Amino acid sequence: MSSFINRHRNIIDFALSSLLRRKIKNISLLGVYTLIIFVLASLIFFVHALRREAALILKNAPDMVVQRLMAGRHELIPVDYGQKISSIRGVQDVVPRLWGYYFDPAIGSNYTVMVPRDNMVQPDNIIIGTGVARVRKASVRDLIAFQAYDKTPLLLMIQQILPYESELVAADLILMSEQDFQSMFNLPKGYATDLAVSVANPRELVTVATKIAEQFPDTRPILKSEILRTYDSVFDWRGGMMIVIMSAAILSFIIFAWDKATGLSAEERKEIGILKSIGWETSDVLFLKFWEGIVISLSAFLCGVLLAYGHVFFFSATIFEHALKGWSILYPQFRLVPAIDAFQLTVLFALSVLPYTVATIVPAWLAASADPDAAMRS
Amino acid sequence: MSISCQKRFVFFLLLWLVTSRYAVAAVSVPAPTAKEKCPVCGMFVAKYPDWVSAIGFKDSTYVYFDGPKDLYSYYINLAKYDPTKTPASVSFIQVKDYYSLKAIDGRKAFYVLGSDVYGPMGKELVPFEKMKDAQEFMNDHKGKKLLRFNDISQSTLKLLE
Repeated sequence: MSSFINRHRNIIDFALSSLLRRKIKNISLLGVYTLIIFVLASLIFFVHALRREAALILKNAPDMVVQRLMAGRHELIPVDYGQKISSIRGVQDVVPRLWGYYFDPAIGSNYTVMVPRDNMVQPDNIIIGTGVARVRKASVRDLIAFQAYDKTPLLLMIQQILPYESELVAADLILMSEQDFQSMFNLPKGYATDLAVSVANPRELVTVATKIAEQFPDTRPILKSEILRTYDSVFDWRGGMMIVIMSAAILSFIIFAWDKATGLSAEERKEIGILKSIGWETSDVLFLKFWEGIVISLSAFLCGVLLAYGHVFFFSATIFEHALKGWSILYPQFRLVPAIDAFQLTVLFALSVLPYTVATIVPAWLAASADPDAAMRS
Repeated sequence: MSISCQKRFVFFLLLWLVTSRYAVAAVSVPAPTAKEKCPVCGMFVAKYPDWVSAIGFKDSTYVYFDGPKDLYSYYINLAKYDPTKTPASVSFIQVKDYYSLKAIDGRKAFYVLGSDVYGPMGKELVPFEKMKDAQEFMNDHKGKKLLRFNDISQSTLKLLE
């Protein structure tokens, strides 16, 4: 056993010194290789973390949201629709929701205004997202002035600033009491923005949705699973867009790596011939090339993944932030919670380290199985 | 002890008696642990919380099932599964109402046969607390037959295979 380890140690020693002999070539190879792994791994980490975040947020979303449509547009829904819907079998609870958007002319940005479910906000108070607090430079117990629908001022006090974890969705959020919501937007009495429907047995969701659509032809029930699917396809699309852009880079890398790895130079061929003539076996030569390949590809893989981890989770993916994140003016400034998909990393490993290593071994095997005398003469 | 205090004590004693009587009368078994298996099909029960059913015996032991179908295969063939027990030693039968997913008394429940809703073991007797619920379910899910506890027999189970 120890002779086996010693043999490999010597081979690795030789491999490292032979890599160092061709310093410039190998360092540039390592650099390009690392860069590609870095970009790919960043993308994998980023999309995976965003998806996870979205899934976490939607975990508490209602099973179904019922919206009313008028002329193909989202309209206010009468609250008494809710009473009729709750009599449908399988429906556990129907909650009318009030929400809307408020344009703040002082900042030039839109806030999402919502009335929370369980009267967690007192009248004349608000709870705001971190984004709103940042742009308004406000803190707890400060008063913020809004303009009601009729341009009269409405002064509301900040009761709380939402915790940092919810930044991705709640950056532009303002929670207020129903009373303040009414004085701000003057909604007609007995109307809500939409209805949140919960169904005890998830197997019945589709049946309930079908019944709602039949009984109220002017409504549109939206299931949570549909929202999740939309999120998934949005991330897939954004991720896909990046992949298309990057595939050109990857292709050029493959050509580069293939060229470097497969084409043994005359010098390398001669080296193999010399090694064989001084008593190295073919297997030793193959191990030498294998270790050379592993040193390059594994270091590039590890460096690339580590850099990507830092880039995504410590620097909030600064490079492709604008391509992948939201649409609002109040960009959420958040640090993603590190989430790693082991499966995707393994795929990346299998697609980068393994082919490279194989690509280095095969030509070496061809050269090593040739006659050493012929190899040295050529 | 003052009079009002005594009154309050009697009130709470009565309240306790009433609620504890109710607790005995109502069917309830603790949620099954992850290791609990259905004695009929051998599947882990806790994975199917929407279908978990149970038989409680007078010696305060329970047996869990992953659906009313297996529960009734067990109940009808009690001699085969547990020869020490007889139908008389069963104190309650608990099934889950399809719509509310609440535990209900299996002896008073309404069961729909032949619907397009499948349980963990395929075709099921889908239980309901209220007759109206069961009837609407039959309309929605192409149910063929509405059964009560006493209607369920070996031949019913044959239809569910």
